Amino acid sequence: MIKFLLKRAALTLPTFFALMFVTFVAIRMVPGDPVEVRTGERGISPERLAQFRHELGLDQPIWKQFADYVWQLLHGDFGTSVVTNEKVLTEFFALFPATLELSAAAMLFAVLLGVPAGVIAAVKRGSWFDHTLMGAAVTGFSMPIFWWGLLLIMLVSERWGLTPVSGRIDLINYYFEPVTGFMLIDALKSDQPGAFWSALHHLILPMIVLGTVPLAVIARMTRSSMLEVLSEDYVRTAKAKGLSPFRVIGYHALRNALIPVVTIVGLQVGTLLAGAVLTETIFSWPGVGKWLIEAIGRRDYPALQGGILLISSMVIVVNLIIDVLYGAINPRIRHGR
Amino acid sequence: MAVDALAAQPAQPVPPGPLRAFWASFSENKGAVGGLVVLVIIALMAIFADVVSPYSPFEQFRDFTKLPPAWEDGGNWKFVLGTDALGRDTLTRLIYGARISLFIGVAVMATSVIVGVLLGLAASFLGGIVDTVIMRVMDLILSVPGLVLAILVVAVLGPSLTNTIVAVAIVYLPSYVRLVRASALGELGKDYVTASRVAGVGTMRLMFVTILPNCLAPLIVQAALGVSNAILEAAALGFLGLGAQPPTPEWGSMLADSREFIRSNPWIVTLPGLAILVTVVAINLMGDGLRDALDPKLKRS
Repeated sequence: MIKFLLKRAALTLPTFFALMFVTFVAIRMVPGDPVEVRTGERGISPERLAQFRHELGLDQPIWKQFADYVWQLLHGDFGTSVVTNEKVLTEFFALFPATLELSAAAMLFAVLLGVPAGVIAAVKRGSWFDHTLMGAAVTGFSMPIFWWGLLLIMLVSERWGLTPVSGRIDLINYYFEPVTGFMLIDALKSDQPGAFWSALHHLILPMIVLGTVPLAVIARMTRSSMLEVLSEDYVRTAKAKGLSPFRVIGYHALRNALIPVVTIVGLQVGTLLAGAVLTETIFSWPGVGKWLIEAIGRRDYPALQGGILLISSMVIVVNLIIDVLYGAINPRIRHGR
Repeated sequence: MAVDALAAQPAQPVPPGPLRAFWASFSENKGAVGGLVVLVIIALMAIFADVVSPYSPFEQFRDFTKLPPAWEDGGNWKFVLGTDALGRDTLTRLIYGARISLFIGVAVMATSVIVGVLLGLAASFLGGIVDTVIMRVMDLILSVPGLVLAILVVAVLGPSLTNTIVAVAIVYLPSYVRLVRASALGELGKDYVTASRVAGVGTMRLMFVTILPNCLAPLIVQAALGVSNAILEAAALGFLGLGAQPPTPEWGSMLADSREFIRSNPWIVTLPGLAILVTVVAINLMGDGLRDALDPKLKRS
């Protein structure tokens, strides 16, 4: 098992290295001079300019710049934003809990609705519920979520006035220092009555928007996986033993039907992070997705570079964890490679 | 007598040709046929946009800005789906938008299929270091979330329609490479390939004439679904201001333009998104039908 784990981990190393190389090269190919961004429109004396270039290491040969870059990364230095002068790593991890909170809520929403819906559709195969759900699922994963978000804001927030339009909490009435960065937890801890509800209220729409595509995928996957399992012999045996249908479906069948669903949930991590970029932009949700888009607008390349590197590293690590977990659950995979 | 009996026998049923068999299987799926019909209509409108649409997509009717659709209060039948903030006819812009979105979808699909087939076949045939390098690069692309990668590519190359196509094609490349490589590896061990080899067939011919046709079914299915993904991704880039630039009537950037009217003029926001959704649903329904018809192994029960 240890050997399998090490082998899988070692396989990701070239990917990490290539990732560093690609972000390094890509950012240098970007049109526009980062030094000019920092100095502004008016221009400065050539001496100051040279000094800036030297500070940013831009007067070094390119291979030296890359070596320095890798060296810094290995020491946990992901660069400094040229706009805010903050460390990229600090900025990223200050905003990341917001993204994580939103993504986790979206995934929870998708699983809690998608799995039961898929199971019912499979059991009542061919019923109106099945047809409606499958139609909804196709619509769901075809959904342009940026439009879906605007549509929900238009209806739920503007017309019906049920939810706030943007942000994570009502800042006029509630203010407290972030402790964990997770608004729901911080709000609970703050002992301000109503703060938790305000945070939850703000979370609902973004959660639905980000959770829609995974919901559709999970519902479809659960349904087809359940249909397959329901025709297996052990399910027939369980039925023949006289077990209640609820127990047959909920216990014997579902446990096996969920295996591919778990894989799909893992594969949605990248989708969630990409979707977070759009969702956060629409709802002004202060997470890393919105920050990344703003970094492009401000030509803050160190932030863009560091952000993409961090997000991708996270995806690689999560996929590695899922791989290893899956190998632990299913010995066939562990020994197959 | 015997001759008569033979003649009287009903004619043997002729096995249906591959196209007929495909159509018979495809048309069983009502959703797929519906998707195909809608898609054909959208495609025809896109192709004949110059003839079908009432105005030019850039023509501004300054006296008729932000009109609602004709059936709403204050609507005008001269502008069936209303006008935008600059007084441009929404219907016209949606029709031209279909042209752009479908073009992006098909261009992305064609690019990534062609490059994907070449790389996938190269990886499976040459093996060794070539295989390793190609597959590691694909792993790298897969490790960056799709939209984030597209954003990086566009940030480097600059926002434009062409760069959108390049960016999205890169994002979807790995799925084709993996698919082609896996099915080619599966075919390589089969007897008919060995037979061809023994018969002295060259590598090129083996790759493209012997093996590739046998990998086509999953590839076609993937390509159909790839078109819809590409349309969504390109629209998302347009929405973020990183895709096609105004005044191009691209659906995503039309949505971005309309964001400020979310309170006052909801239909300016509603229509472009609806166009994206309908197109993508149509393609996905058709893709499901294609999969069921071409690739019975993958059939959803």
